[in-house]
Amino acid sequence: MPGLAAPHPAVTLSQPRELRGGWVLPGSHCALGGAMCSREVEAALLRLEETFSASLAHVNTRILQPLLLADPEPWEPRGREHLQLLQQLLRSSQQLRQLTEQSLQSLLKRLHQPRTTGLEALPLLGSADGVLQVHLEYIESYTSCLVAQVFQQVAKGKREHWLAQCRPLQKYLAGMSFEGSVDAVLGQALCQPLAQHLQQYILLLLRLRDTLRKHHPAQELVINAITLYGNLQSFLQQALDQAVATQALGHSLSSRLKDALCTPGHRLLQDSQDIPVTAIPLRAERVLLFDDALVLLKGPNIHSFDLRLVWVHPVQDRCMLRVVTPEDEFSLCVRDPQDLVVWQWKVSQAVCQALRGKKDFPVLGAGPAPSEPPACRSAAYTFRTKGHLCRATYEGEWYSGRPHGKGTLKWPDGRNHVGNFRWGLEHGFGIYLVPKAIEDKFDCYKCHWQEGTMQGYGICEYSSEEVYRGYFQAGLRHGFGVLDSAPQAPQPFRYTGHWAKDQRSGYGIQEDGNSGERYIGMWQADQRNGSGVVVTQAGICYQSTFQADKMVGPGVLLSEDDSLYEGTFTKDLTPEGKGKITFPNGFTLEGWFGSGTGRGLNTQGVLDTAALPPDPSSTCKRQLGVDAFPVESRWPGVYGPFRVFMVAGCPGELQEALLGFHVQRSRVPRRAQDYLRCERSCLEDEAGRMEDALEELLCHREPAALQRYLQKALNSTWHPLGKLLRTLMLTFQATYGGFGANKHLQGMAQGEVKQHARELWAAYRGLLRVALQRKGQALEEEPEDAETRDLQVHRLMLPLVLPSFYSELFTLYLLLHEPEDALYSQGIASLSLFPDSKLLEFLDVHKHLWPLKDLRLTSNQRSSLVRDRCFLSATECLQKIITTVDPREKLEVLEKTYGEIEATVSRVLGREHKLPMDDLLPLLIYVVSRARIQHLGAEIHLIRDMMDPVHTGGLYDFLLTALESCYEHIQKGGMRLRRLPGHWDLRDLS
Amino acid sequence: RMAIRELKVCLLGDTGVGKSSIVCRFVQDHFDHNISPTIGASFMTKTVPCGNELHKFLIWDTAGQERFHSLAPMYYRGSAAAVIVYDITKQDSFHTLKKWVKELKEHGPENIVMAIAGNKCDLSDIREVPLKDAKDYAESIGAIVVETSAKNAINIEELFQGISRQIPPLDPHEKGNNGVICMHGGKPPSQAHRCC
Ligand SMILES: Nc1nc2c(ncn2[C@@H]2O[C@H](COP(=O)(O)OP(=O)(O)O)[C@@H](O)[C@H]2O)c(=O)[nH]1
Ligand SMILES: [Mg+2]
Repeated sequence: MPGLAAPHPAVTLSQPRELRGGWVLPGSHCALGGAMCSREVEAALLRLEETFSASLAHVNTRILQPLLLADPEPWEPRGREHLQLLQQLLRSSQQLRQLTEQSLQSLLKRLHQPRTTGLEALPLLGSADGVLQVHLEYIESYTSCLVAQVFQQVAKGKREHWLAQCRPLQKYLAGMSFEGSVDAVLGQALCQPLAQHLQQYILLLLRLRDTLRKHHPAQELVINAITLYGNLQSFLQQALDQAVATQALGHSLSSRLKDALCTPGHRLLQDSQDIPVTAIPLRAERVLLFDDALVLLKGPNIHSFDLRLVWVHPVQDRCMLRVVTPEDEFSLCVRDPQDLVVWQWKVSQAVCQALRGKKDFPVLGAGPAPSEPPACRSAAYTFRTKGHLCRATYEGEWYSGRPHGKGTLKWPDGRNHVGNFRWGLEHGFGIYLVPKAIEDKFDCYKCHWQEGTMQGYGICEYSSEEVYRGYFQAGLRHGFGVLDSAPQAPQPFRYTGHWAKDQRSGYGIQEDGNSGERYIGMWQADQRNGSGVVVTQAGICYQSTFQADKMVGPGVLLSEDDSLYEGTFTKDLTPEGKGKITFPNGFTLEGWFGSGTGRGLNTQGVLDTAALPPDPSSTCKRQLGVDAFPVESRWPGVYGPFRVFMVAGCPGELQEALLGFHVQRSRVPRRAQDYLRCERSCLEDEAGRMEDALEELLCHREPAALQRYLQKALNSTWHPLGKLLRTLMLTFQATYGGFGANKHLQGMAQGEVKQHARELWAAYRGLLRVALQRKGQALEEEPEDAETRDLQVHRLMLPLVLPSFYSELFTLYLLLHEPEDALYSQGIASLSLFPDSKLLEFLDVHKHLWPLKDLRLTSNQRSSLVRDRCFLSATECLQKIITTVDPREKLEVLEKTYGEIEATVSRVLGREHKLPMDDLLPLLIYVVSRARIQHLGAEIHLIRDMMDPVHTGGLYDFLLTALESCYEHIQKGGMRLRRLPGHWDLRDLS
Repeated sequence: RMAIRELKVCLLGDTGVGKSSIVCRFVQDHFDHNISPTIGASFMTKTVPCGNELHKFLIWDTAGQERFHSLAPMYYRGSAAAVIVYDITKQDSFHTLKKWVKELKEHGPENIVMAIAGNKCDLSDIREVPLKDAKDYAESIGAIVVETSAKNAINIEELFQGISRQIPPLDPHEKGNNGVICMHGGKPPSQAHRCC
């Protein structure tokens, strides 16, 4: 509306105009008596607007503008404040006048062209909001001047002058009085025109309504306008009352208190001098309710409570109101219930109004619903005392006087907490920053909190660039956790294991980033303590006992050349003291060892050269740690929180705290803001998801569906089972993966995989129990009988879990069976030189079983040179054994291979034929040699270890044994070949 | 409810003594030497009642060829019983049998039940091994002995019944409260399963 922004061209603000045109319509003289027609009413409105506009113009030029120049002390702070208030008043008065002019123009236009201009062209009817706004602003700035006693100050001592300025207003104002003080007169001059205008306007609008037909389109607009003006009247009245009360308050206060409390923006709503009230236990002399604060006066002290953070509750059966604020709680006591109602109502409405940040319209308590102040608020507050919150600024959600919900805490020392709060304490997820001496460096905890301390899963990025991911208890690292050193640390390391009271404690693995050395074992108070296995990158491996980070007592030392030392040895792995060396060839050296005076190892002992080759299970295939670290109690810190989660009934809000979360870690954070950006992979509706997952679980209990469900759950990054599996993978990689992979750990590893399958099955059962409980049902077979459990673990869970550990696990089998696999490869290599017929002959396969058709002999050939043709289907089938991870599928491949061999034989014989072992074994050797599977030894042993024990003695066991015997037979061939070169000379055979 | 016990049984003996034929007779109750010198298969099972239990024999054939002898331990490990067969018409086969017994005593599973079968008793007119020799020998090593004929179905059932009887009955104290029966030892030579 351009007309509002710039003064109207027809209006010159400096000159008050005479009434324009003198529009008098025929019959208007009788107007006030009988019914008027719409045109007459509008003409009357026009006159009213003209009067108002003229009076505003007068006020402007004669009063407001001169007042601006009249301040006796414009340089003083008070003078500056007055000036600002007057300028504000002038601006709102000009707006009011523009609005009036606009209304005037519209009315004129309607009088000239009543047909083309509708009633809604009147700003009052067409844009009521704008009209309201302009009026409210004027009232606000006017009352502010009253409170600040601007007129009194500015016009001081010049009564006559200002009276003269005001006097011409009499022309427009009926009841203008010139008695009383100069500020009273000025106040009247600035307020009276508006009050009178509202009054008269309402009367005319009522008439206008009467002239309109029942369903006239403007009827409703007019009715609304009447209400609006009526409301404005009430609002004005209340504003004046409050201003007067506030101003009056000043007189009863010392000037210091007055300056503090009677500021222009403040309005007094209730005073304990009017309705007596006492504050207990603060013993204040006076209680004042302002529009933004509840104030208690006690001697020279002012206790002011921001209304946005004031909660009031009536105390039952007593004339008392309980007031709760962030740091103080007190009661307001009144004498009779009537007073209580008033105080309670006033305070509540003032709180509501303060929370809305806008004056209630038309009067206090008339704002939009709810009329009761909400218990949850959003506000900022700086604590003065109160424990660990002292001097901290909290900004966020509150509940009944306490931080509750989402919020941010900032301490003056730079500490920062962003997250969830409950009953005034950190609770739920939160990010806590602790600045460090070095500039712009922080310890950053992204963690779950419980009642003010870190509890549950969290991630801490230390200023040293160390990173901890794991569980906390009472603010300390506790339970399972992984600590990574700074990437550039001189002594880089990673610890994966258990913690107690912020220190490594219990079973844990620490890898040294420089040497690659890995300690697997027990810890106490950040030191190696108890049984431990150490694996070096050079392939040396030993098991010993530690005390306070030092090796004590005898141990077992296995070197990479498969020699074994049992006894005491030093930190740099030199035998010292009593011990026994077993060499790979079986020689033993037993006695006392000592690292003499710089002349290397010296011994006093007996060398036994008569011994047989040593038992592989105690030397080259020896397994360390299996007994020292019972598999059932190796990872309580990983399983523990999961069990707690299930026992608690899988509450969605604890899912993250108990099962952990993942944070995308981009670059190294530099500034505080970077730390606070924490994108957790999980979503907010975790509870809903958990619910769905449990619901789904119940619909997938039949074997095939269950298998699908578990597969999905284990692959999911948020499902409890998936999360558990991922943590287990982490521990598995830390123990067995990478360069530290050592064959002497295969036993520990395979036991651990099976244990994980058992635990995951138990975890599934736990979830199932919870899901059923939620439906008010119980698990049918409880406890599950051992046999069914083993069946489910091996048949269902292990195949699903195995892929996650397979690469590390298989590597260990590979290393363990490397020598045999090498011999076997040699055997395969030499057998592969044979043409098919020669190989069948060499293996003594009965002639009648030869698939002669596949050999295709030409006339001048004594024997076929065809290779890799016979039993091709069986060979290709067997090769599939490496394409799967599941031991059961591998066994099925084996069974099919056996079937293919029999099928080929049956084809050759032209009838169904079952092979006895005498025939089967040579044929199987043939097929195995042609399939050329690498690392067959590792495969066979892994299958056997992971096989369902139900199959022991059965067909699968038999087939696997048959395969193993082929493997061993071929290996022996490789050995023979190495010893007797030319034994399998092709020339002899062809 | 009856419990099924799985009993792994391995067959040992020279080629041609009739190992496969015995199993074939036992499992399928037929004997057909016209079609093939060896018939039957390398792994077969048969379940027979024994007292208030069911015994499921898991019968593992072995290759009789001399050069595969060294592989035998893989097959007999974990066996509850071994059926060692000789041909009464071949003294050599009885000699081989003694070697097997010796090996089992040294390397075989503890408490393995040994059953000696003198097969082809239908050919007693060309017998080379007197029954008494076999009996005396069996007694000396604490084994069962019986002369069988796979061809005429003589003593085949009895041979396996004899094994069944030698299997120690289940300790009632090891019976689980739900009817499942556990076996001794870490790697059980035989297994128990629930049966409906
Ligand atoms: N007369 C006779 N011949 C038998 C008997 N058992 C097996 N045979 C024959 O002995 C040969 C070898 O039998 P086989 O079962 O293949 O012996 P294996 O090599 O020990 O498995 C075959 O020709 C059979 O027919 C038997 O009880 N009596
Ligand atoms: Mg045979």
